[in-house]
Amino acid sequence: MPTAWPEKDDNELLSLIQNGSSQAFSTLVERHTERFYRLAYRYLQSREAAEDVVQDAFIKLWENPALWQPEKNSKFTTWFYRIIVNLCLDFRKRKTLAPLDDGKQLIDEREPMDETMIRAQEQKMLEKEIAALPERQRIALNLCFDEGLTNQEAAEIMGLNLKALQSLIMRAKTTLKARLKSIL
Amino acid sequence: MAINDERDEKLDLWLHRRGLTPASSDLAQRIILRAQQVPQIRTASLWQSIRELCAEFHLPKPAYVLASALTIGLVIGFSTPQDNDSSGKDVVAAQSFLAVDEAIL
Repeated sequence: MPTAWPEKDDNELLSLIQNGSSQAFSTLVERHTERFYRLAYRYLQSREAAEDVVQDAFIKLWENPALWQPEKNSKFTTWFYRIIVNLCLDFRKRKTLAPLDDGKQLIDEREPMDETMIRAQEQKMLEKEIAALPERQRIALNLCFDEGLTNQEAAEIMGLNLKALQSLIMRAKTTLKARLKSIL
Repeated sequence: MAINDERDEKLDLWLHRRGLTPASSDLAQRIILRAQQVPQIRTASLWQSIRELCAEFHLPKPAYVLASALTIGLVIGFSTPQDNDSSGKDVVAAQSFLAVDEAIL
């Protein structure tokens, strides 16, 4: 009995996509859109821009599925994170983005208003300082803290060795601590 | 030292609970629909290209039988020696016969 689409692993789906299966592509998109959007959003701080980047990345994969070479890449998500990061860098080079979306969505409505406002304010300041970090430090931070990736995976995505990645994160945190000294 | 640790912990906490504007609920569907309008670029290996080329010329078996029979027939036909002398004699005989008929008239 053939495996149902959602149960197929990424490699199986990619092999089917290489044979022109649009159903396999749909399954892959539905499975991973959210996580790739998260990373793009963290980096670009704009919903529209992040959605465009994720769409571009998936369309590139659909157009030219031979880009995925399982013998060269260990894991689809690691490889695709790298594509997303590169597209984000390109996007930033081409366009100047507004610093941050309005803070409405950052607020958790379940909390009392004062606490919520303070937290929103803290988040805004944190985002501002993260945005001011050097590019590679920002990417390292996003990969490790938001995506729940291991340092090793993040290092692979960035094409670094583990020590270099740890050093980027350490420098990023030191800078943030210094800049947010007044509120930390 | 303790203050520093406290700051570290607080920063880690902030980094873990950063807010996020959720993606549009139809983002995945938009991507899928968009892909349906985009043709795929198929890059095939050399062996695969040869197989596809052969598949283009695929014929059903009766067609191969007919083509083989025609080819064998043509080969046999052309390889059989022709007797040119006898056909020349026939022409002379016919001409003399016609000439005899005209003489009677």
